[in-house]
Amino acid sequence: MTSPVTPDLTVRVGTVLLKNPVISASGTFGYGLEFTPFYDISRLGAVIVKGLSLLPTPGNAPGRIVETPAGMLNAIGLQNIGVDRFVTEVAPRLADAGAVCAANIYGRTVEEYEAVARRLSEVPMLAAIELNASCPNVKEGGIAFGSTPEGLSGLTRRVRAATGKPLWVKLSPNVSDIGAIARAAEEAGADAVTLINTIVGMAVDPRTRRPKLSNVTGGLSGPAVKPVALRMVWEACKAVKIPVIGIGGIQSAEDALEFLLVGAAAVQVGTANFRNPNACVEIIDGIRDFLVREKISRLDEYRGTLLL
Amino acid sequence: MPFRRPRFVHGKILRNTGSGIFYRMEVAIPEPLSFVPGQFAMVSGWPGNDPLLPRPLAIFRSGGTRGKGTVEFVYKVVGRGTALLSGLHGGDPLALTLPLGHGFEFPGEDRSWWLVGGGVGFSTVFPAAAALDAQRSDFEIFLGARTRDQLPPGDWIPGGAIPGRVHLCTDDGTAGFFGSVTAALRERLDRWKPSGKGRLAILACGPREMLKTVAEAALPLDVRVQVSLESHMACGFGVCWGCVTEVREGGKAVYRRVCKEGPVFDAREVVW
Ligand SMILES: Cc1cc2nc3c(=O)[nH]c(=O)nc-3n(C[C@H](O)[C@H](O)[C@H](O)COP(=O)(O)OP(=O)(O)OC[C@H]3O[C@@H](n4cnc5c(N)ncnc54)[C@H](O)[C@@H]3O)c2cc1C
Ligand SMILES: Cc1cc2nc3c(=O)[nH]c(=O)nc-3n(C[C@H](O)[C@H](O)[C@H](O)COP(=O)(O)O)c2cc1C
Repeated sequence: MTSPVTPDLTVRVGTVLLKNPVISASGTFGYGLEFTPFYDISRLGAVIVKGLSLLPTPGNAPGRIVETPAGMLNAIGLQNIGVDRFVTEVAPRLADAGAVCAANIYGRTVEEYEAVARRLSEVPMLAAIELNASCPNVKEGGIAFGSTPEGLSGLTRRVRAATGKPLWVKLSPNVSDIGAIARAAEEAGADAVTLINTIVGMAVDPRTRRPKLSNVTGGLSGPAVKPVALRMVWEACKAVKIPVIGIGGIQSAEDALEFLLVGAAAVQVGTANFRNPNACVEIIDGIRDFLVREKISRLDEYRGTLLL
Repeated sequence: MPFRRPRFVHGKILRNTGSGIFYRMEVAIPEPLSFVPGQFAMVSGWPGNDPLLPRPLAIFRSGGTRGKGTVEFVYKVVGRGTALLSGLHGGDPLALTLPLGHGFEFPGEDRSWWLVGGGVGFSTVFPAAAALDAQRSDFEIFLGARTRDQLPPGDWIPGGAIPGRVHLCTDDGTAGFFGSVTAALRERLDRWKPSGKGRLAILACGPREMLKTVAEAALPLDVRVQVSLESHMACGFGVCWGCVTEVREGGKAVYRRVCKEGPVFDAREVVW
């Protein structure tokens, strides 16, 4: 018997080479450094930090999370330290930790997005910028940039012109045709699309008659969203040629493999980090074990091979 | 060396037994743990995804030797997660992330310490009392409950239920002081005189209203008050920003994470 060869887990997201397909999701991984007591974060395909804005953002009033069956709603309000502190205080430490890192960004106006992207372009250690398109556009009456192909296209074009970094556009699932949205991002110059962001939801208390979140509505994540996410990732993979990064409810290697099977180039793990801080590395190990068991030498041979 | 930085470990329940309305659970963990009173663990023991999130529980006690640690928790059943926990038996697995959060601070100078626990809040202040007892510091304990049966068993109280040092309070007068723990505390504060023992410091855990009343009673007397706050939290180690509470820092109100900058805060800073 020959001993099993360690399978090749490397994946390519456009020009970015990752040692494995597992990326930590924005907003569920802090600034990455919080995980260093648990494991060496350079083991991840990449780390994506909390959404950064031009100025520090205080976030929403308490009453920010509610648990729902097999999921959770959050309305954090994008609390973050702002792009300047990230660049001066956090980025050097992430570089020291050896992590491949992408920064998730958002703004209330196109100009804010551009300014954040420009500032981050000066940071050599950043492998990519991930644009969170689920934010309300204050100039357009609060409708999310990513909710129409036109809105997303306009935003993506402007940010594309503002930075030379690989640009990953993170799509909102709160749309009727995810394929059209993904195509709009591709045509506007995105190097990859990430999906899904959280699904807008709501929880109320029948006795107190009040919403459970201070913001009334919030974003649903966790295993509850996985079937929806998987369907959308599959549709996006069919709609575009650029890489699709799949995310939504991934808790185990099997979950991650499902997204890779329908065509995702890589996956992100979000809510699962909360119950098990080691979730990402356990998923990497689980994918490797699966490939060994199935005698597949390269992950690339498995990706996108859904039998229909 | 016992670990003090957060770890995710798979434990095994040694004991999980009810005592009145409280459960006390002892769990074997791979290594002994060193913790600061007030620190907590995120605990999940049930299979499946409902509930999805782990539950925060104060670390009540830790022990063990190299390669064989133990940790204890005390909890009350209030909902699905704690009900599922109460159904677990010796030998069952339990996942834990610990130790987490910023615990109580014990400034070096000589002080009198008063520890205030409302409801199951005693689980957070007893470890502080045990530490003070071990170093022979001067302390008193105030415990509040609705009724006699909802007070912790006497033999859980660090140093024992010594009259004069331990003040039991019940809303219905079935044990100890007839009234709230904060009313008892106010009475005791009226009688308290700064002595050779130095200044007074209060450590408190319980319902937010109780903590607010403790702060209002003691802060004007220049007593240092530390409170352990509760909040719904998803991760417990500072990455989701779900559990924030408003605190004043340098004259500005800001949101701070109960799981990271807390759960113990200086009562002067809390925006009630
Ligand atoms: C740092 C910290 C330490 C804690 N230590 C202990 C401890 O040592 N022993 C102990 O018994 N409990 C402790 N708690 C509270 C404990 O975490 C909650 O009781 C538990 O999470 C409830 O889970 P559940 O699934 O049983 O209830 P759920 O089904 O989640 O909720 C049931 C009901 O309880 C309310 N509730 C839920 N969580 C809380 C909360 N954190 N505060 C107030 N009300 C809540 C809900 O609003 C709901 O009405 C601590 C909390 C924190 C933040
Ligand atoms: C608490 C919380 C905060 C989040 N913050 C952000 C964010 O700042 N930017 C972003 O693009 N997505 C954010 N997300 C969305 C996640 O990155 C992810 O798209 C979503 O949770 C679905 O994946 P999951 O089910 O694995 O969590 C957040 C999610 C959660 C639960």
